[in-house]
Amino acid sequence: MNVPAVHISGLHKSYEDTKALCGVDLTIKDGQFYGLLGPNGAGKTTTIHILTGLVLKNEGITEIYGKDIVKDFRFTRSQIGIAHQELPIDWFFPLEKLLYFHAGYYGITQKKAKPRVEELLERLGLKDKRTSRLRQLSGGMKRRYQLAKALVHDPKILILDEPTAGIDVELRHELWDYLRELHQNGKTILLTTHYIEEAELLCEKVGIIDKGKIIKEGSPADLTRELGKAGINVHITGWNDELKNAFSDYSYTLEDNRLHFTVRDPEEVMASIIQILSNHGCQIHSVSTEKSSLEDVFLNLTGKGIN
Amino acid sequence: MTGTNWVGLYTLTKREVGRFFSVYRQTVLPGLISSGLYILIFGFTLEQRIGEIDGVPYTLFILPGLIMMNTLTNASSNASSSMLQMKLLQQLPDILTAPLSSLELSLAYIIGGTVRGMVNGILVLLLGVLLIDMPVHHPLATLGFIFLVSWAFSSMGLLLGQLADSWDQLAMMQNFFLTPLSFLGGIFYSIKMLPDWAQQLSLVNPIYYMINGLRYTVLGVYDSSPLNSFLMALFMTILFTTAAILLMKSGKKIKQ
Repeated sequence: MNVPAVHISGLHKSYEDTKALCGVDLTIKDGQFYGLLGPNGAGKTTTIHILTGLVLKNEGITEIYGKDIVKDFRFTRSQIGIAHQELPIDWFFPLEKLLYFHAGYYGITQKKAKPRVEELLERLGLKDKRTSRLRQLSGGMKRRYQLAKALVHDPKILILDEPTAGIDVELRHELWDYLRELHQNGKTILLTTHYIEEAELLCEKVGIIDKGKIIKEGSPADLTRELGKAGINVHITGWNDELKNAFSDYSYTLEDNRLHFTVRDPEEVMASIIQILSNHGCQIHSVSTEKSSLEDVFLNLTGKGIN
Repeated sequence: MTGTNWVGLYTLTKREVGRFFSVYRQTVLPGLISSGLYILIFGFTLEQRIGEIDGVPYTLFILPGLIMMNTLTNASSNASSSMLQMKLLQQLPDILTAPLSSLELSLAYIIGGTVRGMVNGILVLLLGVLLIDMPVHHPLATLGFIFLVSWAFSSMGLLLGQLADSWDQLAMMQNFFLTPLSFLGGIFYSIKMLPDWAQQLSLVNPIYYMINGLRYTVLGVYDSSPLNSFLMALFMTILFTTAAILLMKSGKKIKQ
């Protein structure tokens, strides 16, 4: 059996009187793209910060590739690259130098880090900014620098805390493409985001965290199928009483010749509905489907928006 | 990665040293200029009105104190300001998430502050040698003592930097403790010139021992035993280094 990239079990953390985590259980397979979603204060950042050694846990198991994050901190931290939510400020050194410093902290000499630094500067469009100080960069450039810094030691696990917060749509799409590419190349990615669309598009599995606990996990498609509500709308003429019996197993409403079916998966039942209507002499003028989004699932589960 | 992260330790130390050299106008030149002014003012005006102390002209007498003041204030402020700055500017997560142990992190900050303390102390020493022909009786002991005091106060700076939450708190330590204790530690006078009660009071001021020790290695004169000065410097080095490393290891004030 493969050792999971991240394994968290019964993780607890309190800040004075506030319970931030109340028994988080989370497993991320090697090579998986995992999204952690939750409203503000749900425990996303605390979980990430415990994994990377920024916050001390109260109790629980926290392992990276089967190794404890405290006892084997050199191994576990070497496996992780993290792009923090907060943008850093540095008054003293140019961007390129900061990347070399970062590689150095991970035990990589400047000589060995050079090809990687050059590759990242090129790939993330920072080549022209290599001698710039961070204060001279735009918000989008700083986000790219954050990502370059997280990747400079070529970690197996990439943790991204709100990586596209505050950047324009074009750059967001560029970053999404790059994250997909990294994932295809085998990186395990743990993402927190308040753009649910981001998680829906990128993640193979999402965990919804609320009040310090993971309350639901699954692929975006499975979660929306299981917990969301989908519908089929059919505009017809020729409704008759026989159809009442034919649709006795369906949940539907009829108003002004417009039928609305509430279903789990519209694609699964649409053909049967159309067939029943046709067999009973109905004229079908239009058919449309509607599906819940992950956001609807999130709202149903947590009772609040993600922001 | 197993064992010591030597590359990481070297890199963070290089960053710490590079940080203060990149702003040398703030971190190196001011001490040199103010010490030069002391030498000029005391050398050309007050020295003719103030007699020799322990057979040493007044300007020469104050120089070890000036060297020590520069050394210890720079050593402590480097580590403290760098740590606080990293905390306030969100740079600390970068090194706390790296595979660096608490000992390696502490050593990098302490060495950074020690280098700044030594650079500042040695520059004022050279200024004294060049401007007023200051003799250095025990050159190696002088360098060794400057190193020891730089390490002690750099460790103290790291401790304070971890404990502080604002620039105001750090400035308070500098303005209300370090500077007064330096001035009262006998930079400008021999404690033998003080009344008995003030002499006794001076003996509980640790900075008095630092100045007294350097005055011995540079000029060969002293108020109290140079051995006591060395032991006090060693004691402070061990105390502050241990406290700074233990605080770093505990994660209090830097981790949540």
